[in-house]
Amino acid sequence: MRAVRRLAAVDFGAAALGLRPGQKATDAMALVPDLAAEEAEPVADAAALTALADWCVRFSPAVAEDGPDGLFLDIAGVSHLWGGEAAMLGDLQARLAANGLPFRCAIADTPGAAWALTRFGADRTIAAPGGQGELIAPLPPQALRLEEQTAAQIERLGLRRVSQLMSIARGPFARRFGRAALTRLDQALGRETEALSFRRPPNPWFARLAFAEPISAPEDMARVSADVAAKLCARLELEGRGARRFEVCFHRLDGKAMPLAIGLALPGHDARRIAKLFAPRLETIDPGFGIEVVTLTAEDVEPISARQARLDTAREATVEEGLAPLVDRLTNRLGEDRVWRARPVESHVPELAVGRARPLAPPPQVRVWDRATPRPTRLFRRPEPVEAVMALTPDDPPTQFRWRGQVHRVRRAEGPERIGEEWWKGVIEDVRVDHVRDYYRVEDADGGRFWLFRAGLYGDPDTPPQWWMHGVFG
Amino acid sequence: MSDFRASLRAKIAAIEAHARRDAGVLPFGDQRIDGCLPGGGLPLGRWHEIGGVGMEVETAAAPAAFTALMAAPLARQGEVVWVLRRDDLWAPGLAGLGFPPERLIQVCARDEAEGLSIMEDALATVGVAAVVGEVEAADLTAGRRLQLACEKRGSTGFLIRRRPYGGNARREATGSAAATRWRIASAPSEPPPDEFGLGPPRFSVELERCRGGRTGAWLMEAPQAYENGAYDDLEDTHGTHPLRLVAGLGDRQLAPTLPLRRAG
Repeated sequence: MRAVRRLAAVDFGAAALGLRPGQKATDAMALVPDLAAEEAEPVADAAALTALADWCVRFSPAVAEDGPDGLFLDIAGVSHLWGGEAAMLGDLQARLAANGLPFRCAIADTPGAAWALTRFGADRTIAAPGGQGELIAPLPPQALRLEEQTAAQIERLGLRRVSQLMSIARGPFARRFGRAALTRLDQALGRETEALSFRRPPNPWFARLAFAEPISAPEDMARVSADVAAKLCARLELEGRGARRFEVCFHRLDGKAMPLAIGLALPGHDARRIAKLFAPRLETIDPGFGIEVVTLTAEDVEPISARQARLDTAREATVEEGLAPLVDRLTNRLGEDRVWRARPVESHVPELAVGRARPLAPPPQVRVWDRATPRPTRLFRRPEPVEAVMALTPDDPPTQFRWRGQVHRVRRAEGPERIGEEWWKGVIEDVRVDHVRDYYRVEDADGGRFWLFRAGLYGDPDTPPQWWMHGVFG
Repeated sequence: MSDFRASLRAKIAAIEAHARRDAGVLPFGDQRIDGCLPGGGLPLGRWHEIGGVGMEVETAAAPAAFTALMAAPLARQGEVVWVLRRDDLWAPGLAGLGFPPERLIQVCARDEAEGLSIMEDALATVGVAAVVGEVEAADLTAGRRLQLACEKRGSTGFLIRRRPYGGNARREATGSAAATRWRIASAPSEPPPDEFGLGPPRFSVELERCRGGRTGAWLMEAPQAYENGAYDDLEDTHGTHPLRLVAGLGDRQLAPTLPLRRAG
């Protein structure tokens, strides 16, 4: 079958000439001989929509993409920042128009009603709370986001208005048009909730500052990040909550959003501390032609108990005062994997016996390492090869070895301590005798103490045992 | 004029004395070594430099073990931050020596300057009793900054001189603001008679420099290392330092070991 080329989208001018999406390209050319047509680029369109969704974060932290050409903004609780829904819509329109984007928009209680009004109602409709039913009643049934088949069936039956569908009893409606159609109707009217997949989960912990004049000076950026932190932290403090992660986002004039995130070791709401953690990294933000909006979101919000300021200065310092800010400074500067506390892991394989925990994580309820078995102060990540090992008998500790080009004569030795692999964790076929290690703790004539091991056993001609240095005691 | 100068001096001295809070000393519990140190013990609220010998310039195992033993009594008062360049410090080993590993925060710095600035930051933090840093050297400015950070909270710094990836020394520290400078090498252990294997770890300890004190060299032992028991049990032995002095060493005795290890 030959593919038929169809119009994917038309602009206002083409629509005025009677062209519509889905029309055959040849028909369109017949109607408008000098039609300017471009190949559709769905991938680029999707990317552009995603970029637009990110741009919309300045209006609401909860933005969801809808189909190839729509966006849902959850503005519950944020419209007051503009002084009402109408003002917010006006701002959105002005900015979209300034960027040359054709658009339609509407505000309603439910995503379904907003969708219907945007596409089939009057542009810029704002449905009063609970008033979406009246507004969508006169719209055509397609406004309910129905499947193509269902929509065609409804049209065949001569139903031209949503109001006609609303008057049908639920039972017969579901039987005739399917459960999905009923769900769509319910969702539009708010009788059923609808889950949107937001670009990021909706977050009520959100603060925003807009500027009359765009800013770009580093000191201004530091000041506004402190201001926006103070704004959000005041709310957090009021509710007795703290957050572990803060993300500040600078929205530039050209529509790009520059995010910057910091983490706290303990949940907190100290605006000054948070601003201080942002300060050294603000220089990585390129303000471009200027920043017009700054937003701050708090994540991992949890209740914290307010602590009374200390009266007795001689008392022992609490973690919140000293250690937590230090850990925050270090982790935000170096990265989370560079600051840690060693944590015992139930494993007898030396390199697996130490895990890493966040410095202020509660101590685990595992036994600590056995103090009585000597373990080296330094353990090499990769055991280093040891050469020229001499031993009296195969299982004796070495009497002499060469490591890092230096010959060591062993004066005293302990061992062997046999450590096998954790065969119960892997595939039984992979278990091999050369994975067995015999560890010796030896002391050379100068007093240097070493932890070396022999991998494999004597008597296996295929895999002669190998000696390795795994650590030094000092 | 001279009156004015004298009064100004007195004022400055008063200010300095106020700033430099006396954080006390940590005695080793043996007059032979405490007698060399000002105030009769390792000065707290200052920073100390610890170096290794021969190949230990690279591995710095004996200096690390010795530092862990010196810092163990301090770890009972607060956290110990250990700043590394090469991430090879192994907590089970420190636990075996008697250092409480749950009090240890390890930080891996990306370069020398960062390591020093992290040390400084940690030293000035409430709740941190001691900071150990492994860096190649601290010049005079860095040393003064460390000293100022120590004075803020009275916490004690230990700077282990180490070139973690070998190579030639880039610079020699010329003069230093450290309160003491030590050179630590492993020494042959002496197991108790009729016992096999190795005895408790021994170190040949050289106090190379000591502000307001005398230098000296000793043979020291960690008698409680690798002994069974929880760290809580060590609280009972609160009075005794984890390091025990075995014998004094003349410089002549210590001298031959150095070239030998280097030549190896």
